Amino acid sequence: MIAFPYLFPNSLFKINIVTIVMIFVAGLVALFLLRLATSRLDMRHPKGWQNVVEWAMEFTRTMVGDIVPSERFISWIMPLSFTVLIFIFVANWLGLIATVSIHLSHPIPWLGITSSALKGSNGEVALFDSPTANLSMTLGLSVMVWLISHYQGWHRPKQYFKAYLNPIHILEEITNPLTHGMRLYGNIFAGEVLIGAILTMPVLFHFVPTGLPLLIVWLLYSGFVASVQAYVFAVLMVLYIGMKSYHMGGGH
Amino acid sequence: MKCLFEFGTFLVSIISFLIVFLLIRHWAFAPLARMMEKRRLYVEQQLSEAEGQREQAVKLASEQSELLEASRKQAKDMIDHARLRSEEQAREILESAQAEAERIMQQGRELVERERQEAVNAVLAQVSSLTVQISEKLLRDHVSETLHEELIQEADKRLGELVC
Repeated sequence: MIAFPYLFPNSLFKINIVTIVMIFVAGLVALFLLRLATSRLDMRHPKGWQNVVEWAMEFTRTMVGDIVPSERFISWIMPLSFTVLIFIFVANWLGLIATVSIHLSHPIPWLGITSSALKGSNGEVALFDSPTANLSMTLGLSVMVWLISHYQGWHRPKQYFKAYLNPIHILEEITNPLTHGMRLYGNIFAGEVLIGAILTMPVLFHFVPTGLPLLIVWLLYSGFVASVQAYVFAVLMVLYIGMKSYHMGGGH
Repeated sequence: MKCLFEFGTFLVSIISFLIVFLLIRHWAFAPLARMMEKRRLYVEQQLSEAEGQREQAVKLASEQSELLEASRKQAKDMIDHARLRSEEQAREILESAQAEAERIMQQGRELVERERQEAVNAVLAQVSSLTVQISEKLLRDHVSETLHEELIQEADKRLGELVC
């Protein structure tokens, strides 16, 4: 288990520095990729990268429209769903493209890198990793979605409370955000753990990397999973919020 | 193994994501959405304009074909009318020509008749004067009362024959 540097490591409020930094890195990478297209917008003759970004936009719009076919809801959720889709896609891929870690022989206690943590990770400390490979972060996103969905529900209290006449819905309020966050975390974290494991496979005679074919296959599969999970997370987010957006034509 | 869930990371993740969201919305999403909305409006406007123009074109075309039909009909009417008029006129001209010819013939016939009458009259006058001269010549030399009588009678008879 790789060790992470923490802020306030010994309090209840300990913060994973790598995760937070990586959120901003992923966000800035996404912003940079989008700015490549939006800095030279051409209304009549879109070309190259702008087409790709516009396609992503249309893709998001159809995705939302398929779940809640209400123009008001679509235009309201579009910025969030588009950002979530792009951000999580980039975040998932960042951990596939590279994970950077350094070897530390001396513990740094004020960053939470204690000697026991170092022992558990063989001295490895992560510096660059998917932000979505962290349970707290994905749960943070899912709880944020949960809060937004309830905020939307309060606009129509009657319909909002009527839904809870069925006790299953009360249970869902707990399971939905939990599974929403844990699904993303599980998929990405598992993919990276396995990549790490494959990388430690022995190199025969110093030049036959036994793990290479397996690594290629697993990277391809992880790329697929990373893309699909970004989509799944965005779809579920739109679904959960849409189910409670009664005043915008959502709910069924 | 410690608890996997870290409250600090959880909370700061939400805040960080919201910051990232605001950044992306302001710098990437908004201009893109604005541009796409502008394009949508533009395309819609162009479409409606094209539709209007097509409607107008159809209207104009039908108007034109109507006009064409009307003018064709008018031309046909005019030709028919002209033909009728010309036929009538031709008949009139023919009739008047025939009448004129008739009149000229009549005039000619009358003239011939009159001239013949005049010629006959002139011949008659000349014959009578000649007869008188011959009679005088004959009578002056040797004529008796009886012969005179006979000559006059014969001359009368001949004159009657000549006239008839």
